Amino acid sequence: MTLFQALAYFFREAAVGLARSWKVSLLAVVTIGVSLFLGGTVQLVTSNLAHAVGEWQEQARLTLYLRSDAGAAELQSLAVLVATGSRGSALLEVSAAEAVARFHQSFPSLAGLFSGLEGDPLPPSWELQIPPGERGSERFAAWVTELRTHPAVLMVDDDLDWLAQAGRLLALVRATGLALSGLLLGAAIFTIASVVRLILLLYRDEIAVQRLVGATEFFVRGPFYVQGLLQGFVGAVGALAALALIRLVLLANLGPSLAAELLLSRFLGWPQQLVLVAIGALAGFGGAILSVRREVAGEPGTS
Amino acid sequence: MIRLHSVSKSYPGGQTALDEVTFEIPRGQFVILTGASGAGKTTLLRLLYREELPTSGQVLVAGRNVSALPARKVPYLRRNIGVVFQSFRLIERKTVFENIAYLPRILGYDTTRQRRLAIEALRRVGLAHRLQAFPSQLSGGEQQRVAIARALINDPELLLADEPTGNLDGDLAQQIALLLLDCQRRGTTVVMATHDRELIRRIGQRVLTLDRGRLASDERLPPGDLLAAVTEEPE
Repeated sequence: MTLFQALAYFFREAAVGLARSWKVSLLAVVTIGVSLFLGGTVQLVTSNLAHAVGEWQEQARLTLYLRSDAGAAELQSLAVLVATGSRGSALLEVSAAEAVARFHQSFPSLAGLFSGLEGDPLPPSWELQIPPGERGSERFAAWVTELRTHPAVLMVDDDLDWLAQAGRLLALVRATGLALSGLLLGAAIFTIASVVRLILLLYRDEIAVQRLVGATEFFVRGPFYVQGLLQGFVGAVGALAALALIRLVLLANLGPSLAAELLLSRFLGWPQQLVLVAIGALAGFGGAILSVRREVAGEPGTS
Repeated sequence: MIRLHSVSKSYPGGQTALDEVTFEIPRGQFVILTGASGAGKTTLLRLLYREELPTSGQVLVAGRNVSALPARKVPYLRRNIGVVFQSFRLIERKTVFENIAYLPRILGYDTTRQRRLAIEALRRVGLAHRLQAFPSQLSGGEQQRVAIARALINDPELLLADEPTGNLDGDLAQQIALLLLDCQRRGTTVVMATHDRELIRRIGQRVLTLDRGRLASDERLPPGDLLAAVTEEPE
């Protein structure tokens, strides 16, 4: 028998076996589908979040709030200090009046907040983009410290702190999700192993006859391996389909919102989808190997 | 064809199934294995198709030391051995064709060849017209004939039958015995285990008697009427 013939036979027999015990097979498919759906959800959310955090990091800015009473010499000295660390990033000067205008634009409902105040309610500021290569370096940290202590500077606000916190939160979400889906995947492998074992028991008489007439172990076990593989594959494809459908429903219901933009704007890429399907198929295959090995170990004539 | 040398088989717990059994069966011989229940007949047959391993001694089948055969080579041994059981061991959910075409399928033959071999084997047992029937639609005698067809489909060198008439009444038992004698006439070595004294007398061939695991006698009976009936039939 050629390998192609053997594979065709395995798939045909596996399909017959799954159809014959479709209820328990469905249980295995659903179990692995749920675990991969959860894993896919985590992947979807974290990849969207990671994309958002990445964009924020690209746009991370350093804002120097200046003292209103800073003299020209102090500002000149600050400009020199900024130039030494900014690596050529464009500097945007925001006057006190422009700061107020921005505030009104961002928070129109608070337009009356500054009415009646004397002088400039908001300080002027200098904004510059943080050079990507500089983030997190000791040199950059020392430069920011120097800026903070400069006499013309009232306060320094950089985005890196909260971006680092967002990154840590993202890692935590990803680790928790992966741990949970790992647990569920373990349960799915166990379920598939149990289902394949049950089907093996249903086919015990036929296996005995196959061995009696001279079937090799490859021929006897092949259909059961393929059954596990198919269960995992179908579960993974089902999980992906459910994930895509639920995302579309949520996007339609949420509309253009921050949550939709942050968590659901992009679906999993093809490589991620393929990995998810491969994990499902391999988990099913692994479950089948576990159960077949255990079930066959005690069979006479195979020792 | 078969050679056993000082073969013993004990099970965990100390029960001895076979004790220092030695004999030879030349190619093409019909041998009846008899003895009371628990004498070791089934164990001996199981050793021949390597369903079990002896505790000690050597089992040779067609020149191969079966007891030293690696597990991966057992299937290839079995493709040359047909086995028939008292309980038929047919798969109820499969048709007669599917039941007997296991080996051609394993060997990768196309469906046409599988079908041709199945029909040939069924013709030998007189059931070529029941190819698409299910076992539940057949009588006990017909089921056993299908089991024999399954055993014969690859034209094996050796046919082992473990109480093949045990579940059948007189006439049907006789039909099965005739089929087995016909196999021997065509050159297959046949070893049949039975404790049916009447059937043994009517076959009248070489008889090995086991008694509590030991070979108690090895005798040759005069030809019986069943043997004569087969010999008179044209091939």
